Amino acid sequence: MYTQDFIDKLKEALEFEEVEITESTNLKQIEGYDSMSVMTIIAFVDENFSKKLTAQQLASITTVKSLKDLIGLDSFSD
Amino acid sequence: MKIATYLPAKVYSNLDMEKDFPEWTATKIEEKVGIRQRHIASENETALDLGYEAAKSVLQTFDKDAVDFLLLCTQSPDYFLPTSACVLQEKLGLRKNIGAFDFNLGCSGFIYGLAIAKGFIKTGIASNILLITSETYSKHMHPEDRANRSIFGDGAAATIIEKEDADKILEFEIGTDGSGMNNLIVTNGAMRHPYDEQKTGVIDDGGNFFCANNLYMNGPEIFNFTIQSIPRVVQNVLLKNNLTMDQVDYFIFHQANKFMLEYLRKKIKIPQEKFYNNILETGNTVSATIPIALKDSVEKGLIHPGNKIMLVGFGVGYSWGATIFQY
Repeated sequence: MYTQDFIDKLKEALEFEEVEITESTNLKQIEGYDSMSVMTIIAFVDENFSKKLTAQQLASITTVKSLKDLIGLDSFSD
Repeated sequence: MKIATYLPAKVYSNLDMEKDFPEWTATKIEEKVGIRQRHIASENETALDLGYEAAKSVLQTFDKDAVDFLLLCTQSPDYFLPTSACVLQEKLGLRKNIGAFDFNLGCSGFIYGLAIAKGFIKTGIASNILLITSETYSKHMHPEDRANRSIFGDGAAATIIEKEDADKILEFEIGTDGSGMNNLIVTNGAMRHPYDEQKTGVIDDGGNFFCANNLYMNGPEIFNFTIQSIPRVVQNVLLKNNLTMDQVDYFIFHQANKFMLEYLRKKIKIPQEKFYNNILETGNTVSATIPIALKDSVEKGLIHPGNKIMLVGFGVGYSWGATIFQY
């Protein structure tokens, strides 16, 4: 997946369409990021990458880039 | 199989939640978890009382002297001992030459109840079993724990499983993984960890207050457990019953929350019209969700005599169970 597709899909899943999100955006600082967002990310990564992220791993993420690192850069085409 | 349900009178709506937690909006709660209101037991009302009401109601359609076993599933009993089932034998005026016991399970409880009932009937131990699944998680929750308070509601179901029903409850797939014990737990107040009189608490990242005297749920980890394990459980129960997905007429899963169920449905590829997903008026009532949903499905004409219905329960333990019920 390309990073821009990833960001667009993630924004849609989290219902953050109106928020400007780049690789350096800290997801946790977005208003509305809560425990449901964590579950949404787990579902999103399971669906699109068939990878399991634990609650503990997700507690450690900050930026979109850190989420990409967690998923594994080999899953990205750019 | 006859089912009656009982929900306590007191209601805690999303509008009430909005007042208690101004950072949340009623519509957003409904959108995310699919719940508009939950019924909450009053201070002097316990799971035993809810179970009593549900049982009284189902016994209006079934001779109570014919009941020869009482099973009760709860995680909020009146006493450490005696077991609530014994108290209810007397309160309901059931015969004395019958067995009665509680078992402690959460969201998988109804499926385990069916498995025990089928086993007792098939071995001739009993022939008409009253299965009560009754829960009041509200008693375990901290008032400031908004996440759990938004999801869980109190409620009870009473189910009569007669001899001929045992042939309609087909093969089971059952499982346990105690490694998940800490992800859904009331830590304090029993034998291992005493109740903390100081009620020490912490506020987590999500803004939830948490004290070990109260219910703790690691939502993301429970979600992980569910989406990783339940698709396999569904495949295994199909295999055990020699059925394909298409041959199942309707699917009733434990009604955890709308988001989780919708994700599971898509992942397992169950058509929307064959999948029950409704806890709008009740919230997640733990071991009572499946019988509440089953009764609602019958009343709404979603299932018909002869239909094969897949029932799947999963949660605290971790514990899970699935079976096919031929309605």
